Amino acid sequence: MVNVNSHTAEPETGFDPLLGWGCGHVNFEPLVQSTLFKSADDGSLINDLATNYSVSSDGKTWTVNIREDVRFTDGEKLTARDVAFTFNTAIGSNSELDMSNLEKATAINNTVVKFELKEPQSSFIWRLRYVGIVPEHAYKKETYGSNPIGSGPYQFVQWNKGQQAIFKLNEDYYGKKPYFKKITMLFLDKDTAFAAVKSGDVDIAEVEISYANQTVNGYNLISLPAARAQGVSFPMQNNTGEKSLKGDPIGNNVTADIAIRKALNLGIDRKALLEGVIYGKGDVEYTGVDQREFGNPDARIRGPNLEEAKKILENAGWKDTDGDGIREKNGTKAQFKLYYSSADQTRQALSVAVSEQARELGIKVDLVGASWDEIYANQYSSAVLYAYSSIDTFNLYLQYHSKEADDTYKNPGLYNNPIVDGYLEAALRATDQDQATKYWQLAAYDGNTGFGPAGDVTWLWLVTIDYLYMADETLDMGTPQRNAGADILGNIYEWKRVNAASSTS
Amino acid sequence: MSTALATVNRGLFRGLNLRQKTLMIIGSTSLLLLAIVVSSVYLGGEPLQTNFGSKNLAPSLEHPFGTDWMGRDMFARTLEGLGLSILVGGLASTISTILTIFLGLLSSTGKTADSFVSWLVDLFLSIPHLLLIILISIGMGGGAKGVVIGVALTHWPSLTRVVRAEIKQLKTQEYIHISRNLGRSKIWIATKHILPHLVPQILLGTILMFPHAILHEASVTFLGFGLSPHEPAIGIILSESMRYLSAGYWWLAFFPGLSLLIVVLAFDLIGENLGKLMNPKNAHE
Repeated sequence: MVNVNSHTAEPETGFDPLLGWGCGHVNFEPLVQSTLFKSADDGSLINDLATNYSVSSDGKTWTVNIREDVRFTDGEKLTARDVAFTFNTAIGSNSELDMSNLEKATAINNTVVKFELKEPQSSFIWRLRYVGIVPEHAYKKETYGSNPIGSGPYQFVQWNKGQQAIFKLNEDYYGKKPYFKKITMLFLDKDTAFAAVKSGDVDIAEVEISYANQTVNGYNLISLPAARAQGVSFPMQNNTGEKSLKGDPIGNNVTADIAIRKALNLGIDRKALLEGVIYGKGDVEYTGVDQREFGNPDARIRGPNLEEAKKILENAGWKDTDGDGIREKNGTKAQFKLYYSSADQTRQALSVAVSEQARELGIKVDLVGASWDEIYANQYSSAVLYAYSSIDTFNLYLQYHSKEADDTYKNPGLYNNPIVDGYLEAALRATDQDQATKYWQLAAYDGNTGFGPAGDVTWLWLVTIDYLYMADETLDMGTPQRNAGADILGNIYEWKRVNAASSTS
Repeated sequence: MSTALATVNRGLFRGLNLRQKTLMIIGSTSLLLLAIVVSSVYLGGEPLQTNFGSKNLAPSLEHPFGTDWMGRDMFARTLEGLGLSILVGGLASTISTILTIFLGLLSSTGKTADSFVSWLVDLFLSIPHLLLIILISIGMGGGAKGVVIGVALTHWPSLTRVVRAEIKQLKTQEYIHISRNLGRSKIWIATKHILPHLVPQILLGTILMFPHAILHEASVTFLGFGLSPHEPAIGIILSESMRYLSAGYWWLAFFPGLSLLIVVLAFDLIGENLGKLMNPKNAHE
């Protein structure tokens, strides 16, 4: 038995993959259900339910073969019909899980599923990776979430809303069976979780980054990467009085100037943020996807270089003429607002540090800690500190492809570059992942332009934060996969209990 | 030396009489509060900067109140927070007092006006205080401005009630009747006869409103309404410190909490001692 403090908050809609359990806003191992693919230790995709897959030359038809020896925990066989049912139901699920590009899924026979897409989408592989397969015969949208049946490594036992969920081992699991017979998932906030660690009540718990220098007897502090990038979005357009679809203001004359964005990207000392704010638990970040295989190292810039940054500002006409320490250009002060989520201390600390560092460049950043409603209402006219952990390549498309000002958090700067749009579209149309990766990288920087700091400098990416866990020292977690931070249960198959006395670490 | 005098004049400062002592208490506490406000205004900048090299330090000579999770000096932060609190308290009390005087005098002018004022007082007192502050401050667009307006617009009812009772009593006095018979207008009577009698009540009421206003400002910011979490306000400091109690950083809560208590007590002390001086019933003591 193992007690786990969940890294995600309690799922409001229960353990239903079609309503966001395991996929959607965050992606993680759904435990109860199994998925078509899963991640190897190095982050690459390997088969789970699937045995292989192929994509048609126009990129619109995906055919996936699945195993035939899999049963749901109620004894029924899992067939291609269940897979098709799962994805067809997801189309209209109206949740965080975006399936709008899927035309329909059809079961060719018991072991072959065909997916027909409206538009070619190379990133569809990530949908296949994270959506848990539900049984057609036992699925009802209203009740499935609180009593899920699946074919995953664990079987659902009970859910005490607001407190905990209990899972027991699925004895008929087709894959490698985990060591732990029972998992109790506690839904605690991070402070309570840390208190639970101190009293020895849990085996593993996620803790705030500010506890990075804490030690608890009998526990090891482990930090797991998750490529969770923190960065400041910049409104890319000038303020022309235009309004978004919801009537929120668009544009900012200061951040629309590439000199300001470039100077900040060059002048901010990311290393100092890394060491200072997040205790070195993570890495510096330049493009938002530095750690992904589809990140482009050429899109980065060399920094920090305060002198160079100042020179850029001077050359662009930003000079401090009235001696108040803030630069001006044609009567406009180099000053803008930066919104951050007031509920998140790390974002607060990063914002404060950025604001202080920007002051040395002669740029005044006024901080506003706010709720998300307020942030979204101001994202097109002010800078916002966002966190992105896009494992799904489709997020890149959403983040940098031009769009209407529709008040979602995708592409908050309203970046609009036809060349980048072209690369992003080409990446989606690519039929094999290597080719897609090439285009994703070109979108960041093609030697001339791109969304990265070397090109149009659309963001000020700062650092990538690891997830910190306090784990009981008798818990052996094997080799966590590359992005295990947000998906700690992803390698539950490798976890086991070791004798504390015999462990040397 | 008589025994009666000896009981009064014991302890420190035995050379002073009670009046002098009272004045001294008022003077020194006012000076303390003034010092807090002035230093918080001129502090700004440097000490409030983060210093990630000195995070979560226990109190020392260099940082008397310790440092917080961003390495900011808690002494400077507490001073800033208290300064803001006192300013909010001051503004709120002043606005409340003006409202009180206006409504009090209005109630003295006639029966309809009087029942209107008492209806207004009952209305405001019937809504939970904190809720009303939060509602008003959000309605006013949040921020420091919202908090000041919220606190200011909610503290007048109890003082108005006291003033109104006082006025009711005054109106039964002979000289008011005579004045009215002599043909003086209601406004004239209100400003020339009634107002002067109300001065001590109002002055004391205002000063005793301070601690209320300060505590309410602290609770509103504690609950996360109004100011952004990076700004130094005493409520924000205290709510932030809660997160670190399990990590053992006691100084984050202890010193700011204690300082808030001292400031509130100081105002209480001033009010009490001013009362001793100004209330004719015990002024002779």
